[in-house]
Amino acid sequence: MGNKTVGSAFSIKVTDFRGKEIGLEKPASRIICLIESGLSGLYMLNAENQVIGVSSAIYNESVAEQYATLDERIKYKKLPAPGNWDFISIENIVALEPDLVIIWASQTEAIQAIEEHGIPVYAVFLKSFDDVYKEIKDFGILTGKNQRADSLINYTKAEIATFSELSKNTSPKSVYFMWSQGLLETAGTTSTVNELIELAGAKNCCTIDQEHVVINKENLIDWNPDLIVMWHNANIDPGDILSLSEIKHINAIKNKQVFEFPSVFLCDLWTLKFPFAVKMLAKWCYPSKFETINLDDEKNKMFIELYGKRGNNLIK
Amino acid sequence: MNKRILKILIFALPLPVILASMFIGPSQTASPKALYNFIFSNSLSPELLQSVLFGVRLPRILLTFITGGTLAVSGCSIQAIFRNPLTDPYILGLSAGAAFGAALALAFFFIPVQLSAFLFGLLAVGSSYFMARKNKNVSIISLILSGIVVSGIFTALLTIVQYYTDPFKLQSIVHWTMGNLHNANWSKLQSSIVPVTIGITVLFFYRWRLNVLALGDDEARTAGINPDKDKLIILVAATLASSSVVAVAGVIGLYGLIVPHMVRMMFGPDNAQSIPLNFFFGGMFLLIIDNFSRTISGFELPIGAFTMLLGAPFFIFLLKKTNIGWDK
Amino acid sequence: MGQIDKAILVRNLSFAYKDTLILSKVNTDIEIGKLSFILGKNGSGKSTFLRIIAGLLPYHAGNVYILGKENSKLSVAERAKIIGFLNQQHKAVFPFTVEEVVLTGRAGYINFLPKEKDRRAAFIALEKVGITHLQKRIYTELSGGEQQLVMIARVLAQEPKILLLDEPTAHLDFINQAHLLTLLKKLTNEGLTIVSVLHDPNLAFLYGDDFLFIKDYQVIRAPNNTSSWSTEFLRTIYQNNIDAIPYNGRALLIPNMN
Repeated sequence: MGNKTVGSAFSIKVTDFRGKEIGLEKPASRIICLIESGLSGLYMLNAENQVIGVSSAIYNESVAEQYATLDERIKYKKLPAPGNWDFISIENIVALEPDLVIIWASQTEAIQAIEEHGIPVYAVFLKSFDDVYKEIKDFGILTGKNQRADSLINYTKAEIATFSELSKNTSPKSVYFMWSQGLLETAGTTSTVNELIELAGAKNCCTIDQEHVVINKENLIDWNPDLIVMWHNANIDPGDILSLSEIKHINAIKNKQVFEFPSVFLCDLWTLKFPFAVKMLAKWCYPSKFETINLDDEKNKMFIELYGKRGNNLIK
Repeated sequence: MNKRILKILIFALPLPVILASMFIGPSQTASPKALYNFIFSNSLSPELLQSVLFGVRLPRILLTFITGGTLAVSGCSIQAIFRNPLTDPYILGLSAGAAFGAALALAFFFIPVQLSAFLFGLLAVGSSYFMARKNKNVSIISLILSGIVVSGIFTALLTIVQYYTDPFKLQSIVHWTMGNLHNANWSKLQSSIVPVTIGITVLFFYRWRLNVLALGDDEARTAGINPDKDKLIILVAATLASSSVVAVAGVIGLYGLIVPHMVRMMFGPDNAQSIPLNFFFGGMFLLIIDNFSRTISGFELPIGAFTMLLGAPFFIFLLKKTNIGWDK
Repeated sequence: MGQIDKAILVRNLSFAYKDTLILSKVNTDIEIGKLSFILGKNGSGKSTFLRIIAGLLPYHAGNVYILGKENSKLSVAERAKIIGFLNQQHKAVFPFTVEEVVLTGRAGYINFLPKEKDRRAAFIALEKVGITHLQKRIYTELSGGEQQLVMIARVLAQEPKILLLDEPTAHLDFINQAHLLTLLKKLTNEGLTIVSVLHDPNLAFLYGDDFLFIKDYQVIRAPNNTSSWSTEFLRTIYQNNIDAIPYNGRALLIPNMN
């Protein structure tokens, strides 16, 4: 708990997002992964059989269906889920006798409680796509799937590289990104969303230097974005945004350029699936330029590449 | 200051203050300089300006004014019928119920947040009332006790909802609870105007009767009014109006307690005059506080924080200056 | 049975509070235009009896007729025009002026806001009680005695025909008690019917016209050929030896503690 480095007896060593070194004697085979996006990565690494516990979000939320397709254990609710966010049971976690727990770095109390039982904890904090690469690479090391991790990372980087070439733009469109909590919740310049927008060849109209920002409606009118892009929202649709009378004069509303990301699983910015979101956003911004990109094909290719043969089941 | 002049000011100032508030806000499109240019040289996009002034600022200004006025009038009425100057519209669980209703809707999306907050606010007050009733009699102490218990229950339920949701929804819930006038729009104004108008109108008609009720049940009954019936009507009216504004503006704490005291210190306890005074002063004061919060930062800080920081000094000033006679 | 020649007519009235019997089959009447006192030991039910007549306590057995009308059938507003009631204790919370307090007595006549005639009635009430100089003072800043007078003015502003008072002398000093009772006498001379509970029989006998006693769950008067101030009779009421000293056709009483 106090030292940041581990002894040289450990053959497997990574540094997590807290800057703490995690050491294992052999690849982890009893992993409890309390982060849904992280779990997605473990499946991509074909390491799912090394997972013995997940976050209860897997069973509860919109991603449940896809995970049920990927894994019979989830389909039949056989995989233990000791909780979600602050509502996790330390007792249940310890009872499962894991050799590694993956959790958000912000859950400091839970992390301390787990480490006190001598269980290694890998804490995650994602601020950029480079962080996503680091996470997958570290997971590869921890599970002994280093090669697979590297090939996944290379594939994704290649996708992004070719796309960046295409999406270079001299007069980028301005995009307002709307989190699902409400119209006035957006992402600032130090966020994965900002990277997403720039990779798609557009510009984030929110210039505030923060990850998550609550703005004033007057700001939105001042910025006058060309597009409004909503994160997946179970509650409201683009139609509801289009009908808001107080912002009806901004470009995005006037030209009916309001879009919503259709699925959390598909467009997850915290996994290697983020290139798909980039492509989707690029098509919305510059439809004629990216006419040739067929999103369905891209999606299918990505699923097969990332999830292997099981990817076929996801294609429906 | 002469009471008469003060009274005239309180009735006359709201309109100019409302108009002046239209010029306050973080928008560059509608900054004073931009407005000057617009008025005198027609060089701005009129559409966006229109959006800011009439789509964003005006509904927020009106909603703020109505919220402040309603909380003050309701607080004044509640203090009279409870014969207790330490009560406010939230005493029977209204704010705890509304916060829970909002949290439930924010976490589980089953009905609109505003409606949920409104209904649960009413439910909480209704529960307190019926819990305290014994053989058609409702004593004030048992009513206040029931209110404390019901508030506690809804706060506990709120805690459970908060604990069970993810940090993003939790953030929304916390923001809602602290007061969210920055989400004001015309549709919120529309949906709240009917219950508010009904409630305030009833309280306006009953304003002199509050004096009779404030003296005591026996005194009221023998003088010729039915205190149980009248107090129930007033409670329902105050709750209807308050629940409606809490549903659209969140919980603005202590405002309904403090403002009636300020008005009482300036004008005395005669409710016949202080009910309308509470509405105009309460509305205008909250508007001034909101203007302040809009100018001081580009970020939206919850108004609940400002009402106490700005309201308290004025309250203390009045407390020291007037000889209200609470000491006996 | 609705004789209008009696102010108050009580027939077979019984009242119990929870499981305690307080009044049992009471039959009595009270004359119009007289100053009547209700006397008896502490806890005998004097206040309860008064509060029943005032319409503050519901009764399920028997009848009470107020100027010929059955009390339980009167609406609150109708009753207020006939009966005014002065409570034993009054605690004011808000610092209303005397004027504002007295005006509340007009509640039965006012729909939403007091009119000129209501303010006039309030002022006349202040005049009757002799406290017009207190009109603009804050009620909560007055002495106990002054407050009592204000509450009396309030009940007079109601312009009732019958006045019920529960221990009106409780907070008054020696001289003010006499002032108050003189005022009550004067009011009955002007036609008002006044019924008052009093703990002190001496004061009652000095000023009153009629005397009712509560004993053994009943309301009684002294038997026909005895005076209310006879020692034998009073002994049965107060269960103590009382010496009666003749005074002015009546008597002054001194409890004999030997």
